[in-house]
Amino acid sequence: MPDEAFIEQLNRGYVCPPDAGPAWRAAAVAGIDLSLIELSLAKTPWERWVEHDDALSFSLQLRDSVSKHYGEA
Amino acid sequence: MEKLKALIEKLAAGGVEFVVVGGYAAVAHGASLLTRDVDICCRFSVENLRRLVRTLDEFHPKHRMTPQKLPLELTDEFAARLKNLYLDTDLGVLDCLSEVLGVGDFDEVLRQSIEINTPSGKCRVLSRDALIRAKETMGRTQDKLAVIQLKAIQERLLADAAPRDR
Repeated sequence: MPDEAFIEQLNRGYVCPPDAGPAWRAAAVAGIDLSLIELSLAKTPWERWVEHDDALSFSLQLRDSVSKHYGEA
Repeated sequence: MEKLKALIEKLAAGGVEFVVVGGYAAVAHGASLLTRDVDICCRFSVENLRRLVRTLDEFHPKHRMTPQKLPLELTDEFAARLKNLYLDTDLGVLDCLSEVLGVGDFDEVLRQSIEINTPSGKCRVLSRDALIRAKETMGRTQDKLAVIQLKAIQERLLADAAPRDR
């Protein structure tokens, strides 16, 4: 059973690591989801482009679906 | 299906002199942005533009900003007068720029670029420092968000690269 502190941390969302610098903390304050950046930094530039194109295609499909739902297409 | 990355591979394979800039460069550096187009800075010489047109030909490039969506056709006189090309192709939207605000012309952009690997070869991307400078100069809301991310990435990577006391 996870303890209260762990559950509280999960509910709070992203927590800056203790050694995070001012730019990293400023990005967190600005609302940037830095966990996505951390995932991205673990990939090569090409892998980032592949993931980006997949996400873009999916978002365009969603947009088309929403347009069709409202009869806008 | 968007194939922006395929655009880059085709241009590289076609021998076009170019550097990836803009939002797609920010993605390459690790930013979590979604962009609809690929921005490249390329040498606007007649020879290079000919290579660009030849490479894109099978993907039906059209001038995106013209109401008639005119197909991309190139004469030497037309090429000599161009500064930018805003295209729509079967692979996606491609903007070709002769210079980048805050960085300079193609030679300067090339000097401030890095080489990255793709499955079909290598291509060049504007360096993180230069990209931050370009986006700060542009100053639009979307650029400011990119700068916040790029500066955080820069700080993190520099810290990771720095020797640490044990």
